[in-house]
Amino acid sequence: MSKITVLHLVDDTTAGGVMRMLDHLSQLPELADEVHQEVRPVKRTAFSWGSFDADVIVCHIAPGWRCLPAFSALRAMHPTTRLVHVEHSYTRSFTALNVPHKRRFFAMLRVTYSLFDQVIAVSKAQAGWMAERRLAPASKLSVISPQVDLSAVARAAGPVEAARVIGAIGRLEPQKGFDLLIEGFRMCPNPEARLVIFGEGSQRDRLMALAAGDRRIEFRGHADDPAEAYRAVDVVAMPSRWEAYGLVADEARAARRPVIVSMVDGLRDRIGASGVIPCGSDPKAWRKSIEAVLAGTPPVVPVLALKADRSRYAQRWQQVFDPAKRL
Amino acid sequence: MPQASIIVPAYNTAATLTETLASLLSQTHDDFEIIIVDDGSQDETPAIARAHATDPRVRVIRQENRGLAGARNTGIAAARGEFVGFCDADDLWLPEKLATHVRHLQAEPDVAISYSGSAMIDEGGRLMRVRQSPRLRDVTAAHVLKRNPIGNGSAAVMRKSALLDLAYRPAFETKRDWVFDETFRQSEDIECWLRLMLTTDWQIAGVPGLLTRYRIHATGLSAALDRQLQAWERMVDKLRPLNPEFFARHEAAARAYQLRYLARRAVSNLDSQKAWELAQRSASTSARPLIEEPAKTLTTIIAAAALRAVGPASVVQAGRLMRRQTSI
Repeated sequence: MSKITVLHLVDDTTAGGVMRMLDHLSQLPELADEVHQEVRPVKRTAFSWGSFDADVIVCHIAPGWRCLPAFSALRAMHPTTRLVHVEHSYTRSFTALNVPHKRRFFAMLRVTYSLFDQVIAVSKAQAGWMAERRLAPASKLSVISPQVDLSAVARAAGPVEAARVIGAIGRLEPQKGFDLLIEGFRMCPNPEARLVIFGEGSQRDRLMALAAGDRRIEFRGHADDPAEAYRAVDVVAMPSRWEAYGLVADEARAARRPVIVSMVDGLRDRIGASGVIPCGSDPKAWRKSIEAVLAGTPPVVPVLALKADRSRYAQRWQQVFDPAKRL
Repeated sequence: MPQASIIVPAYNTAATLTETLASLLSQTHDDFEIIIVDDGSQDETPAIARAHATDPRVRVIRQENRGLAGARNTGIAAARGEFVGFCDADDLWLPEKLATHVRHLQAEPDVAISYSGSAMIDEGGRLMRVRQSPRLRDVTAAHVLKRNPIGNGSAAVMRKSALLDLAYRPAFETKRDWVFDETFRQSEDIECWLRLMLTTDWQIAGVPGLLTRYRIHATGLSAALDRQLQAWERMVDKLRPLNPEFFARHEAAARAYQLRYLARRAVSNLDSQKAWELAQRSASTSARPLIEEPAKTLTTIIAAAALRAVGPASVVQAGRLMRRQTSI
């Protein structure tokens, strides 16, 4: 039996999280016998990305007016190939904060998604938004939350006994909302508390200015070893303004760290899971959440069943790749 | 279940409530309820409201005074309709208003708020020549912050599901959720609309026509204008963390527009000192109003200057200038 060939299209703006997800997906032992996967970088705004020889093409590129020609050409050049789009970028809160002309934006998304046989949302919340805004018909829409290899993070970590160090891990960009966290943390009088921030980005100077004078706050730059970063903190904070999925929440839980999340987009999917503390999107709400978690005994995060999660995940993708497995 | 709910916050509005209710009860739309929220009135409002409750479409809720936002929130919690409109107890709706907005919201499923322009009436109910003819299409958060196209508290009909997206419950609140922030006694509308624009992906859009009659009360107090400015600044301070980049880009222009609006109010109040001060502050805050709406901005400055130079004697001229612009 010949293997199913799958081509993943990415571009240079594709986020690091997506590349990690594809590394993991390409190496899943559950898929190795039946599926051959390749990752192909293309230029997002090229007029056409060319013609490919594959059974299934999975597009990980963020739609936009400027790449609509390339999306259309992709469909035109592969009339019988199964085309799948994974929406890693756009969400309800992204739209609220970044899109002045929403009508046009929704029109662009509807046209783009109509070119695909299947549209995959990365969280239930995102899928709910796509359905409510009629961006893709329910028959085309499914949810597969991304996974990455969490074993290194899980191996390195144990349960937390007392909460003292709050950690924020991610790019220093407006999306991540670390400004809200710093302002909220500064309002907590507890002299023992610490806030450790891992990551780099365009907001570095602004965030450092916000933190200036509070010696409890520390910027540690990019964490080369994520496991080390999670070990260095007791509680993880995700004050994101938008977040299609939010892998950091999974890493934190794998490291058995409680995680405080803002109630937006994909992070809403995690509300109710053990160790996940929902929080509002303003500095005062963060102050309250931080004070509460510092004052009490941190919630115990159980060891995640990584292997079972992985095989379920492999099964979901198998249904995407293999027409015989489709429901 | 009625398809639409019209919420009428009423606080000491005995003089106008009957007329307001008459305008609502004669709506051409045939499936709606009216919820009068008597916000702790001390005048004849409760009796007038009760008298209307014999109509099966009318319900009355009485509460201790919580302010306009609190009255609206109580109304929202009680509303059974898929669409919720607000009409203050001194304003009037033209008969086709509700039907027009319901049609609009049904045709545009991504629109959360449907609004229209308004014609102003004075305290005696006489039609003034001033009107609000807002932008109706392609409304962005920046438009809402700068010029609030919804205009007044009796112009909007909303989708209930969008209101619920905004609902939250402060820790000390025991009765029901908040949609409007009850800690605001002014700027509660703009705070809510802008929060909708900055935290949800709902759109807002208007329909043509002046479907609301909005009553202008002469306050005459410059302290009231100061309080209004303070509330506006508090609204900006509250919402800024949601999107600092947005405020960095639009805040100064919006403040200039707000100061210009208050300057025009001061001119109507014949408060020459205040009008001049506000017009000056507006101009030095940002040139955007002058660039984007030169005629209206210049009229404001000229009216304020005339009032200052000639005193109340120039009222007639200033008034004429304001009326030529016929909008506030």
